[in-house]
Amino acid sequence: MGTRDGATGMLEPAVDITELYAAHRLSLVRLAILLVDDLASAEDVVQDAFASLSRRPDAVKDPSKTLAYLRVSVVNIARSALRRRRTARAYAPPHTLSPPTPEESAILAEEHREVIDALRTLAPRQREVLVLRYWSNLSEAEIAVTLGISPGTVKSTASRALVALERSMQKSLGEEAR
Amino acid sequence: MSTQPGIEERLRAALSARADLVQPEDLSHHAVVVELRPRWQSPWVLLATAAAVLLILGVVFRGLDSSPRSDDLAPKPDAPQLELPADVGRAWKADDLSTPARLDLDGDGVREEVVFLGEPTEDLDGRIRLQTTLSSTGAEAYGIAELGSTIGTNALDPIDADGDGDQELVLYYEDPDAVGGGGYPLVFDLREGLLVQAVAEQPELLVRAQVPVPGSRTEFYELVRVHDYWFEDGRLFSSRSRSSFASGNMSLVRTETILVDAWEWRLDDDGVLRAASIGCLRAGPEALTPCEEGAEEELPYVTPVSTETFGIGEGADFREGYRYSARLEAFADPSLVVVGDEGRTLNYGLEVAAPRVNVQQPSVFLDGASLFVTSASDPSYVEILAQVGDQLRPLKTVGEVELLNEGGVRTWLTENGGVFTVVEGEDDTWQAWVWMLVSRTQMTAMPTGTVCFDDVDDPSSVRSC
Repeated sequence: MGTRDGATGMLEPAVDITELYAAHRLSLVRLAILLVDDLASAEDVVQDAFASLSRRPDAVKDPSKTLAYLRVSVVNIARSALRRRRTARAYAPPHTLSPPTPEESAILAEEHREVIDALRTLAPRQREVLVLRYWSNLSEAEIAVTLGISPGTVKSTASRALVALERSMQKSLGEEAR
Repeated sequence: MSTQPGIEERLRAALSARADLVQPEDLSHHAVVVELRPRWQSPWVLLATAAAVLLILGVVFRGLDSSPRSDDLAPKPDAPQLELPADVGRAWKADDLSTPARLDLDGDGVREEVVFLGEPTEDLDGRIRLQTTLSSTGAEAYGIAELGSTIGTNALDPIDADGDGDQELVLYYEDPDAVGGGGYPLVFDLREGLLVQAVAEQPELLVRAQVPVPGSRTEFYELVRVHDYWFEDGRLFSSRSRSSFASGNMSLVRTETILVDAWEWRLDDDGVLRAASIGCLRAGPEALTPCEEGAEEELPYVTPVSTETFGIGEGADFREGYRYSARLEAFADPSLVVVGDEGRTLNYGLEVAAPRVNVQQPSVFLDGASLFVTSASDPSYVEILAQVGDQLRPLKTVGEVELLNEGGVRTWLTENGGVFTVVEGEDDTWQAWVWMLVSRTQMTAMPTGTVCFDDVDDPSSVRSC
């Protein structure tokens, strides 16, 4: 729903997408890259989220909720991207990867890379909960709203996800030791 | 199971480190998606318009930004809206079955190559990124298309619908559910450095489809108008049949040529494709020609009538499709004997006096022997026999029309195998119906136009009403 213009009686969108884009694109790309791993996909995810908002600017009734709306879009679109990627990996022949971008060439400290690699092995829902909790610093209630699940499920998912993360890291260390 | 102390801190630090690897300078130069400003909406025009409005309304002027923003543009619910393409899909891949398009997008006399990068989706139904480098500036231009499939993207002939000397890229959306193929063209114009999809003012006129006539559906058919589009000399045209035709059972009942209303599509400055009428055309399988003065639809092919028959003690060979011989033998009741070339013999006892079997096989049923049977002693009798396995059976009629030949309902077989029934209407008009198979044992009649006769007993006297 938009705000009504008193002079013309027409509806105007409640949010200024250009300003939102300038203010939040970087943080949303960072959120997306934690969910989909590569920058090109992360940028596409965020671009799609803004495109979706642009097509339905009245979808956000309260301007203060716009960032939350975009965050939900990013998580959902990222999940779809991962699903498609799994399918593509299952059926597509291997192809030459594009040269790494400057961002990808930057070095991630070894101790961080172990954690990020382990994060990639988690189920999408577990990964989303951990990213929203430990990077976005959302409360359990906010994560519940973002993912459309109950706060109790957020709590249990986070707990299991940490266990799975740790197990994955240990397994990885064990393989390296052999 | 409990987790090691510190795992949460490690996770928090790793996520932060990974996210911080993305710096503002790493981001592509994407533009936020906004509605494209029509060319007439230049800042000066906007300012002039706004000033005039403010004078009238006395509203406090809050200032106008010179760059277009999605929420700056006044809503125009009835006007087609252009949308800038989202800058997505740089990493998508070109499909092996796709062919890059070559056309002069920027009008400098050099053709650009436009590649089609498909969005990977499970059902291969994602979007297509159109991407090229403009020869005049070296700048990249892109667009986004939704074609229903990412497999084998190929462009149609380019057009110059706005007559500005550069070409527009034309793709097409293919409707997988359309019988015999269908869909619509998508026109992409280079606007403000992007390949922007033009919006058709009346999209229902720019399709290739059989469009149902509302309320015409019956159990076995519905009436449709035939829509088409085509390209000629770099221009885009479309048409819609003036008459409607029965469509059903994977068949469209139409004559070879039909009359159509036609339009040329021109691209306005505001990026909208608008249809300009070019009048009536006669559309045939090979050519479109202007309608002649007082043009009328072709008559349905109800003639010439097949009149050659055989009776008791006679027979005929049928040599089109399934090859067989048939003869009428006299037992207690007349018996029709059919012998296939492979040696299979079928017998059918006819319960009618003085039967006559037409030497033309009815095209209603061609997947085996079929025969059109009348009676010299009972002019109202008409039967179509068809082979079902090792038996001959009369085809049952379903639908709106009976297979009769008396009074206001006349039925005959034409020399090309068509079985027609005409039903008398008002003012000496007759509704013509053609019979079609709807199952292995049933057939129905579908309407094929209104005709008049000088003498209905002589179908060759058929004429338009």
